[in-house]
Amino acid sequence: MTSRREFLAAAAALTGVAAAGSSARKVPVLDCHVHAGHAPELTDPWTTIADPAAILKRMDQAGVDQACIFPINEPHSYAGANQEIADICKRYPGRFIGFCRHTATTEKGIREMMLHECRDLGLRGLKLHDIPNTEIMETAAELGIPVLYHPPAVARFEETAKAYPTVDMILAHLGSDMSMDYREHLAAIELAKHYPNVYLDTSTVVITRYLEKAIAEVPAEKICYGTDEPEVDTRLEIFKIRMLKLPKGKEEMILGGNTLRLLSKYKGVKS
Amino acid sequence: MSAAIVDCHALFGPGRTWDEPALDVNYGLKELLDRGAEAGIDRYCVMAARNSGYREANQRVARACEQHAGKLIGFAVHNPQGESGRVAAMLREEVKSMGLRGVRSDGHPNRELMDAAVELRIPVMYYPRIRPGETVSRWIHTPVSTYPQVNFILPHLGQYRSWAWWGHVESIDSAKRYPNLYLDTSGIGSLKYLEMAVHDLPPEKILFGTNGPELDPRVAMEAVRLQNLAPAARAKILGGNILRLIGEVA
Repeated sequence: MTSRREFLAAAAALTGVAAAGSSARKVPVLDCHVHAGHAPELTDPWTTIADPAAILKRMDQAGVDQACIFPINEPHSYAGANQEIADICKRYPGRFIGFCRHTATTEKGIREMMLHECRDLGLRGLKLHDIPNTEIMETAAELGIPVLYHPPAVARFEETAKAYPTVDMILAHLGSDMSMDYREHLAAIELAKHYPNVYLDTSTVVITRYLEKAIAEVPAEKICYGTDEPEVDTRLEIFKIRMLKLPKGKEEMILGGNTLRLLSKYKGVKS
Repeated sequence: MSAAIVDCHALFGPGRTWDEPALDVNYGLKELLDRGAEAGIDRYCVMAARNSGYREANQRVARACEQHAGKLIGFAVHNPQGESGRVAAMLREEVKSMGLRGVRSDGHPNRELMDAAVELRIPVMYYPRIRPGETVSRWIHTPVSTYPQVNFILPHLGQYRSWAWWGHVESIDSAKRYPNLYLDTSGIGSLKYLEMAVHDLPPEKILFGTNGPELDPRVAMEAVRLQNLAPAARAKILGGNILRLIGEVA
């Protein structure tokens, strides 16, 4: 069992946040779900631009220390967009942790790309929207990186989580983006109770009684603060957690500690 | 003394959720009033959850308003199609005898409902059910432009949960076009469209709403607080505008 101090030190070394050698150091507030960078299609905000400077401004106002960032939508390959994520992380040291994004439907050679992106570019997680293939999931297992997955349906997520029990998988949006279908929130909560490797992110929950239900029923270790910035505002998303007035330790885990713990499992070669 | 904060869009009583997939609900007052008090809300416009008919639901709302006089302002709800031929008579009774102050249209407002709203001088809340390929204007333009003397409240900045962002953009543009169209702030998912509304519209056109207790009124209030409004605009959005629309203030 890792002590809190050891955990913070390991996480700090990983993320660039100073642990200051003290257990009194606060757990950083870390958003596990943020998009950043440019994309070419100009059809929606999420195929156009996610400006890291604007995101950082809102993070500062909300008291968010760090965010996991990954690309917005690309039509063909994420290689260039993942490089842009690594560049943004370098441009704002200590503020962003880069995740690569991939899609099995249009990309070839994903394993090689993921190894390069994690080992050479310093990315530390994977964002998925489309249904992943074996190559993607086995590479995630090999690297020890968490997979943040916004699936077509919670049932689809379950199939992947069940098939890859050694991969930590974060189910985005508490299972239902913008609370479009409450039944998906309920299914997500049950999944997180059942599978040790399933975590929930809190992003874009509009009907917040499902957020309250998740926090009441699922161990706090399995809930990760997320926002979906810049489409959704971190200042309002963090309010949805803080208004619940959770015990300090529980709030710290949800607002950052849990994501840091998942990130600390990285076992790829350090860049 | 600061102006009263009034929620223009709250729910009370049994029925189904207004959004799909529908869920059976029974909205109580305790959660709304407790959480609303935390948010600093003084008064609430309350209306029924969705029902197949609204006579009993509106009576229930009226009784709650009597019991909480000064706190609750009742709105009727009617289904112009399902209650066709009975809406005007019911609405007259609900406004004149039972003290309700507005009407929400469950379905597209027709002449019967609109003529009654003109006669009774009450605002009409209407959130169109938009089918794939349609936009807000498809349903808003005709009733709003045909009845310029009636004030319309379009909930959720025109797009519940911000699912289709263009619904917000179109609704904000519509509020500029039609002097009698107002937007309520409840139930938005993407705060930047509230920022857009506050930037693009005069504060007279925006009404604070919560959709509570289906949604948490504290979140709705925080969304407005984050706009850093000037005091005069804040007073209008947070209560002055809805009190004007129901005729309580000039």
